[in-house]
Amino acid sequence: MSRLRLLICIAAASLLAVGVAACGGETKTVTEEAAGTPAAGGDSGKTVNIIASVPPTDHGWLGAVSKNAKSQAEKYKDVKFELLQAADADSQAQQVEQAIAKKPDVLVVLPQDGAALTPVAQKAQRAGIPVVNIDRTFTKPDAATATVLGDNYQIGTLAADYIAKELKCKGNVVEIQGLAGIEVTTDRTKGFAEQLKKKCKDGIKIVAQQPGDFNPDAGLKAMENILQAEKKIDAVYTHDDDMAQGVVQAIKTSGREKEMFLTGVGGSEDAMKQIAAGGLYRATFLYNPNMAATGINMARLIGLGEGFSELVPPEVPRNLVVPAAVVTKDNVKEYEKYAFN
Amino acid sequence: MTTSQADAAEGPSRAAGALERAKTAEAQQYVLAGVLVLLFIVGAVLKPDTFPTWDNIRNMLTQASVIGVLAMGMTFVIATAGIDLSVGSMLAAAGLFGGILVGDDGTSSLVFIAGALVFATVLGTVNATAIAYGRVVPFIATLAMFSIGRGIALLLNDKLPVSLLDLNGGSFGEPAVFSLAWFGNGRIIGIPVSVYVFLGITIAGWVLLNRTRYGRYVVAVGGNREAARIAGVPVRKIIFSVYVLSGLLAGVGTVLLCARLGSASPVSGNLYELDAIGAVVIGGTSLAGGRASIVGTFLGVLTFALIFSLMTQLNLSTEVQQVTKGLIVLGAVLLQRPEARY
Repeated sequence: MSRLRLLICIAAASLLAVGVAACGGETKTVTEEAAGTPAAGGDSGKTVNIIASVPPTDHGWLGAVSKNAKSQAEKYKDVKFELLQAADADSQAQQVEQAIAKKPDVLVVLPQDGAALTPVAQKAQRAGIPVVNIDRTFTKPDAATATVLGDNYQIGTLAADYIAKELKCKGNVVEIQGLAGIEVTTDRTKGFAEQLKKKCKDGIKIVAQQPGDFNPDAGLKAMENILQAEKKIDAVYTHDDDMAQGVVQAIKTSGREKEMFLTGVGGSEDAMKQIAAGGLYRATFLYNPNMAATGINMARLIGLGEGFSELVPPEVPRNLVVPAAVVTKDNVKEYEKYAFN
Repeated sequence: MTTSQADAAEGPSRAAGALERAKTAEAQQYVLAGVLVLLFIVGAVLKPDTFPTWDNIRNMLTQASVIGVLAMGMTFVIATAGIDLSVGSMLAAAGLFGGILVGDDGTSSLVFIAGALVFATVLGTVNATAIAYGRVVPFIATLAMFSIGRGIALLLNDKLPVSLLDLNGGSFGEPAVFSLAWFGNGRIIGIPVSVYVFLGITIAGWVLLNRTRYGRYVVAVGGNREAARIAGVPVRKIIFSVYVLSGLLAGVGTVLLCARLGSASPVSGNLYELDAIGAVVIGGTSLAGGRASIVGTFLGVLTFALIFSLMTQLNLSTEVQQVTKGLIVLGAVLLQRPEARY
């Protein structure tokens, strides 16, 4: 009997161990060294050591960020690249701290939470390691040498422009937001509301606003209830392509897909396919995960002491805002190559 | 009589206490039914055109069905003084497993449904084994599964959702009977299939808990484990069975949710366990075990669905909804307070 229990305990413990490793409960380190000899790439013959740190990639967009960073680094023979994935803000801070000890030439950080990672980024800067900040900003200007950002406010304004034009400034709009309480969501909401007001005064009414948490099933449920409450909806502005799939299902099930159209944000493959096919899914606003690749390029230039040749003198800009693009049926062919999934 | 008691396994003084608790549970159900009616009236007054409509009632029942199915399993688990924190994670993992099994070009709903049910049951069995035979505290064992299940869901398809839109039984338009899409959008005399599934499981759960020896055993184990053992109840087997049941019902929840979404997403079912536990508790089932009410759970699930629908229709923020939900749970637990004397 007791031996049986021992066996079961061992089985359970090993299962647990597998599970913990599987769900990113601990910090994973992926070392990717660029192939080829170091001297073959840069003109200076110098090798740049870059360490990048990103949050857990449990969402399509963040997954694409990691992938893009890695493949960009692999293109350069003079770059030695290491990607660290953290489970949360706390462990990410520790990870960056350890990375500082390794004395890389440049650090690239996409923080889980900008404020929480600011002190450790400052520490790196003071230790003489330049930091390139991606997507979510640090709260102190001296925490980064260069910053690459997407423009969430602009995504809101682009969506407002698009919807205003399609509806000729008249109609009812529903907004399915991202995760409540983070800057990304507030900016996408604010840009949309302010631009809509500017363009159409009160011609277009935002009749319902509910968070869908960037999650398809939360989006589905919110939209199902809104469809009950609102008898006339002309357009739906959603904050995310993944989440929008749930919203699409809700509209299709209600049989009201002729009544309205929908827009997403991000640029997922699924969304682009539906845009190309025409119908309910009319547009998405590209929040380009390639900003990670841009970040790696900038880190490399900083490491080599070079700059953008278009700037006089050639330097790496301190702030770079990657423009958001409108993807519709007319231009989806051009953007398909940037789609993620 | 919607409340089962462990009278058989308890001494005379405890039996008297049990009687009092039975009354409390019944009173709580009346209060809850009152709250439900009140919420409905509030909705009807504030949104007369869109809230008290047949269409919206159907919508609320459909939305309630996933949590409802999970909550039925949870009622049995909590009746044994246990807890299952992993139902949302098992739901997501089972969906991804079924999705992978079907593959990109697959059109077999049966493969998906069987795959999801079996996988969820297997995960439930892991919980059951750890708790009943490994003597791990249910809170910890299912907390581990909460993490394992979500991890498996993310691992299975590299964090990506699997599209299941092709699983409509092959026919165009109306989904074929017993295809996955049918469980999501199909209707029988105007009522969605998922509502039938929810009601069917509720009735089966009621019969199982109140009209079978198994049901009496479940409550007896929760009421007093030692007494139940002495009275000849196979305690371990009973505890084992409720976690397997909870896993199986998580699989049913997977089928209902994925059918409506047309995809299996690794992030779906997030924190569903909290809604399920909340619904069970406001229904009068005691977290200390030994008292369970399927009707109460049913009313609890409907209450949550009603609140969600009403708040969304009024375009109130989810924060308000969270506060309201929390207050209702707190109120329900305060109603159960006499029990604290034991």
